[in-house]
Amino acid sequence: MQKLNHQDQIALEKIAVQNRKNVLRLMKASRMGHIGGALSAIDIITALYFKIMRVDPQNPVWPQRDRFVLSAGHKCLALYATLAEKGFFSHEILDTYGALCSKLGGHPDMYKVPGVETNTGALGHGLSIAGGMAMGHKMDGLDAKVYVVMGDGELAEGSNWEAAAAASHHKLDNLLVFVDRNHLQISGPTVDVMSYEPLDKRWQAFGWSVREIDGHDMKQIVENATDIPFEKDKPSVIIADTVKSKGLSFAENKVDYHYWKATDEDLKIAEQELNKIEEGIS
Amino acid sequence: MTDSRDPRKTLGEALVEAAEKNKKIVAISADSSSGSGLTPFHKRFPERHIEFGIMEQGVMGFSAGLATTGKIPFVVAIAPFVTARPFEMFRNDLGYMRQNVKVVGRCAGITYSDLGATHQSLDDIAIIRTIPGVTVLNPGDPVDIVKAVHASAAHVGPVYIKLGSPKMPVLMDENYPFQIGKGAVMEKGNDITIIGTGTLLSKAAEATRILKEKGINARLINLHTIKPLDRELVLKAAAETGKIVTVEEGYLAGGMGSCIAEFLATEHPVPMKMIGIDDLFCDTGPYEELLAMYGLQGEQIADTVEKFLG
Repeated sequence: MQKLNHQDQIALEKIAVQNRKNVLRLMKASRMGHIGGALSAIDIITALYFKIMRVDPQNPVWPQRDRFVLSAGHKCLALYATLAEKGFFSHEILDTYGALCSKLGGHPDMYKVPGVETNTGALGHGLSIAGGMAMGHKMDGLDAKVYVVMGDGELAEGSNWEAAAAASHHKLDNLLVFVDRNHLQISGPTVDVMSYEPLDKRWQAFGWSVREIDGHDMKQIVENATDIPFEKDKPSVIIADTVKSKGLSFAENKVDYHYWKATDEDLKIAEQELNKIEEGIS
Repeated sequence: MTDSRDPRKTLGEALVEAAEKNKKIVAISADSSSGSGLTPFHKRFPERHIEFGIMEQGVMGFSAGLATTGKIPFVVAIAPFVTARPFEMFRNDLGYMRQNVKVVGRCAGITYSDLGATHQSLDDIAIIRTIPGVTVLNPGDPVDIVKAVHASAAHVGPVYIKLGSPKMPVLMDENYPFQIGKGAVMEKGNDITIIGTGTLLSKAAEATRILKEKGINARLINLHTIKPLDRELVLKAAAETGKIVTVEEGYLAGGMGSCIAEFLATEHPVPMKMIGIDDLFCDTGPYEELLAMYGLQGEQIADTVEKFLG
C-alpha cells in the first residue's frame, strides 16, 4: 500500500477542486449535463489520473499504459475535466461542450477525445470491455492495470454480472472497479428503484475481493487503489460511498441534479462555493 | 459424387491455419466449443482459446476489450445468441468502437431445424447489416468458408460470418479469387439473374441447372458478401438480364434480397422476386423437409423462377 502524505493529499484535493471548476466550465458552455454523477465520481477519477495510473498525455495510446473505463459514461463531465487538467487536450476544448460536432459529447467518444478508451453511455458495457483489456494485458505479460468506474444504479444491468463472473473465473487481478455508490438514480434512491444490497456480499459471491471506502477521501482512495490486487488471483472492487453533486451544497443528494439545466445565477453560486472549498483546503 | 464438407469442421480447421500465421488470433467460445468446431484450435493453441460459458453479452465486451490490446478475437457460437441476443453489445462495443472482432454465427438460418425458432437465426443479416462499418459474410460452400476466415483475419474491422450446420457441397473452385465485397459469377446467362447466398447457394445452383435443361439460361451469382454490397456486379446483372431473383435462408425483411432491392430501387429498378422466409417463426422437423415446406428446394426455386418469368 502506497501511503499518501499530507502534502500530496492537499495537492490532490486542490486538483479535485480545479477539476470541479472545469466541470462548471463545461456546464457554462452547454448549460446542461449529467452533473450529479460527475461530481460524485470526480475525486476518484482525479486520484486515478494524478496519483494512481501510469498514463502519458503526450502519448495517449502508449501500449504499456494503464487503462481507465468509465462504464457509467454519463459521468463524462468528470472525465473531460480531468483529462484536460492532466494535459490530454487544451482547456479551450471544454468550452465547446454541447456545440455541434464537438469533441466532447454527452457521452465519451474514444475517436474524438485523446485519453478516452471506450465509447460508453449504454450502461452495463464497461466492465466486460475492461475485463477484455485486463485479459489481453495478462496474455501479453504486461503489468498494466485496468480501472473502472461504475454507477450504483448501473448495477441493475445483468450484463455487469456476466462480466463480474468472467473476471473472477479468469483471475483478472489486474482489474479494479470503483462502484460510485452515490445512492441515487433518476427515479430516486437506488435501493428503492432496484435494490442491490448487500452490495459487498454480492461482489464477494461473484469471486471479487471487496473493500468499502469514503469515495471523497483522497487518502482512502489512493491507499486502497494502489494496494491491488487485494487478494492474489482475484479482481478487486472498491465500493466508494459518495454524495451526488458533491461540492455544490444546493445540489448535493438531490435527484433533480442527476441532469442539470443550469442558469447564469446557478453557475455563479456554484463557482463561489467551489472557491470557498478551495480556500478551506490546508 | 459431390464432395460435401461439414461447415463447422471446415471453420475450425481454417481458424487453426489462420492462427498459425497470425499470433494475434484468439478463439472465443460461449460454451459448446466443440459444436462450434473449435476442438482443433483448442488442442493446437490452448492458451489462445478462451471459454466464457453461456455468456453471449459478456463475450462481445470482452472481445472488444481484447481487440483494444491488439488481439483478433474470433467469437464462435450459435447464431441467434451472438446476433439478436447481444445486439447492443455488437453495435456499440464492436461497431461503434470499431473493434477488430470476428463473430461467427453457426447453425444459422433454419439449419437448427429440429430445435425450433429460439435457435433458428433468420434475422441476423437484417439486424447486423444496420451496424455501420460491420462487414457481413455469408459463405456459400466450404471453399468460401475457408476463404472467408482468412479474408476476415486480414481485414481490419468487425466482421459477421453466417454459417449453417449440415454438410455443404463444394461448389467453388479452390483457387477462385475470393474478395470481401466482390460476388462471383458461377454461371453465365442473360435470361434472368439468380443471386444466392450462404446455405441456399447450392439450392440456387440446382435451380439454375434445372432451368438450363428447360432452355432458360440464368446467370448465377454467389453473393458471399452481403455488406459491403457488390454494387457493380448487381447493377451489371440488372442491366444485362433485366430480372433478378434472390435466394437466401433468412427473412425477406432486411435480408440479402432486401439489400439488393434497396440499391436497385434507386439505381436501376428491375422486376425482382425475393425467395426466403416471409414474416413467420419457422416450424421444426428434418432440415430438407423443412426447406421444402417453405419452398426453398432447388426444384421449387426453379419453379418459382419459371413462373416469375411468365
